Amino acid sequence: MARPTATARRPVPEDAPVTGTVAAPLPPRPKLSRLERRKSLTGWAFLLPASLLILWLSFWPMIQAAILSLQTGRGTRLSFAEPLWSNYQRLLEDETFRLTLQNTFIYLVIQVPLMLIMALVLANLLNNPNLRFKSMWRTAIFLPSAVGLVSYALVFRTMFANDGLVNDLLVGVGILDSPVNWLGQTGTARFVLVLGLLWRWTGYNMIFYLAALQTIDRSTIEAAKIDGASSAKAFWYVTVPQLKPMILLTAIMSTNGTLQLFDESYALTAGGPANTSMTISHYLYQVSFRNSPNFGYASAISYVILIIVAALAVVQLKVGDKRD
Amino acid sequence: MRTSARKLVALGAVLPLGLALVACSGGSDGGSGGGGGGGGGAEGDNTLTVWAWDPAFNIYALEEAEKVYQQENPDFTLDIQEVPWEDVQTRLTTLAQSQQTGELPDIFLMQNNAFQKNVLNYPDLFSDLEGSDVDFSEFPESVVAYSTVDDVHYGVPFDNGTAVTALRTDVLEQAGYTVDDFTDITWDEFITLGEDVLAKTGQPLLSGQAGSADLPVMMLQSAGASLFDEEGNPTIVDNEALTAAIDTYQRLVESGVLVEVNTWDEYINTLVNSTVAATVNGVWILGSIQSAEDQAGKWAITNVPSLDGVDGATNYTANGGSSWAISSNADVELAQDFLATTFAGSSEFYDTILPGAGALANWIPASESDVYSEPQEFFGGDAIYSKVVGYAEEVPSNNTGAYYYEGRDAVSVAITNIMNGTDPEAALAEAQSTVEFAMGG
Repeated sequence: MARPTATARRPVPEDAPVTGTVAAPLPPRPKLSRLERRKSLTGWAFLLPASLLILWLSFWPMIQAAILSLQTGRGTRLSFAEPLWSNYQRLLEDETFRLTLQNTFIYLVIQVPLMLIMALVLANLLNNPNLRFKSMWRTAIFLPSAVGLVSYALVFRTMFANDGLVNDLLVGVGILDSPVNWLGQTGTARFVLVLGLLWRWTGYNMIFYLAALQTIDRSTIEAAKIDGASSAKAFWYVTVPQLKPMILLTAIMSTNGTLQLFDESYALTAGGPANTSMTISHYLYQVSFRNSPNFGYASAISYVILIIVAALAVVQLKVGDKRD
Repeated sequence: MRTSARKLVALGAVLPLGLALVACSGGSDGGSGGGGGGGGGAEGDNTLTVWAWDPAFNIYALEEAEKVYQQENPDFTLDIQEVPWEDVQTRLTTLAQSQQTGELPDIFLMQNNAFQKNVLNYPDLFSDLEGSDVDFSEFPESVVAYSTVDDVHYGVPFDNGTAVTALRTDVLEQAGYTVDDFTDITWDEFITLGEDVLAKTGQPLLSGQAGSADLPVMMLQSAGASLFDEEGNPTIVDNEALTAAIDTYQRLVESGVLVEVNTWDEYINTLVNSTVAATVNGVWILGSIQSAEDQAGKWAITNVPSLDGVDGATNYTANGGSSWAISSNADVELAQDFLATTFAGSSEFYDTILPGAGALANWIPASESDVYSEPQEFFGGDAIYSKVVGYAEEVPSNNTGAYYYEGRDAVSVAITNIMNGTDPEAALAEAQSTVEFAMGG
């Protein structure tokens, strides 16, 4: 029995990354030559218009919203609150806000990991070079992302109606004895909403992973296989680490998207029953446009969403970005 | 020299791009202004811009009103823009909040339930109707009340929200009843009859959207009670009529006389598919009922049941309805004259839109015309329209106020919780504190 000897393996230095080039240590920064300075200025000039637009259309409204969140009053009769942070203080006593915050976090904690894992597995399966009808599968899984948010929410609502397709099917096959009131109970209403989100967004995230998988050198996976790693192990120890930047990106994007979830809550469950499936953004809309408009308070709610999104993104970056 | 020339070239290449982008976004603002509003710009040119939302109903009525008004003013035109109600509300709020009232149309349609809220919060959006030729005494008092703030009139009532009980006579017959057994009755009697119909035919009488406060609020108004008092304070706790209404609703559901569904579409389906044998709603529901042509001749209408043991209980109430408002950006004189001559002054106009769209007038003189007393084959040859206009005059007023939606939503939540076993008193106390909280900040 000839065991592969240690010398047969290619020695790999401990700290070398699996792919990519090793960045050369930067030389001490030299004084810029005139040419370089000119190039740098040109670069800044190209950045300028976009930056100005972002400043004007994105950051300026954010500052205005921050000022607005310190004001109280109905309609246009706004004045600075006393004390200034009273809208934020008010949030702590708002039962509906607490409920919608809790709902949103339930969606976040259940849906985002489930979706990303499914997307990762699907992407890996579809990346198999021996798979037939590959583009058909890819299209089929990506297609839900092309559907309008409100239209799919309405289709789901019809499917999960008391006399809808799902109940008819489940009762017809004999899994259920009597129709389930899907949208009329808290647990099932949230379940349908999460299911809708999974259907709509899994394919979207899968495309990111597929793109990232294309950049992975197949020889790294083959090398692992030759070394005796099972498919699962090769996936977990070789593929996933190389997808890490993309996983980080999708995790941040999905977290961000889920915290701002509106359409599904509005069109699919209408927040019901008794607000137990309503998201923060839906509540924000109610406060601004359905109820007697309270824009100061609504801005405070939107700032809480911003703070949570920012905090979670920082955490994810810290956890995900463990560069050696 | 050369460097700075290059820099200039680079800047010269980049700056126009940036400016162009800025100009683009600025330009689109102006563009949408020209297309969307234009009320102010239209002054003097005999055109009125209007926002309304239903091509088969209120937009159709506008088109007919335009024709009627053109008989006197041949140059007059309406620029009707179809805007769904939710979007009308969003647009109004956005325009008022950003002080861009120049983008408003001349006239817009508004849900009666939202009227007080908008007038109280954004008085700058409206022109009042004082000094116009509209005679408000020719409309039912309860309907005019929706659009009246501090005795100033801001709206011309349009569609009629008077509530009716619509019943399937063929199902009642199987159980041995007629429509007369359901006329001028109380909800207790209704439940007893409903249980009997259910036992004999297997069909529940009513259906409704779970978590919707529609029916309980209709019951509330039928007793002249509201979720708010005259000063606009919430009266959800210790409200005898509300407690009775919720208790009645609970008994309707528990006895199986009312089946709950989750969406509006499902509710309409229960009517069209003969799942239920009756419904209690605003008279506009007859439009949906009549879409089931195979049920022609099998429906009849009567007044609604009254609450038991509540002071001031009547058999009349309302749900929904809308009114026309003149914006602050309008050609006020023309808009007032248009509304006064058509929606508040033309029997000919109402005679056209009643058969054309089932649009029932709130304007009382219209009901004296022959068209209103014509027998309707779909409803077994009954002259239902003059009947409903008669009911409309009996409807007690309802205080809506600026926080009506908060009140209604809080009561919806309370009803859902009560149905799931929460103690009614505790649930209503929570609803009251939710509304008080919303009014607080």
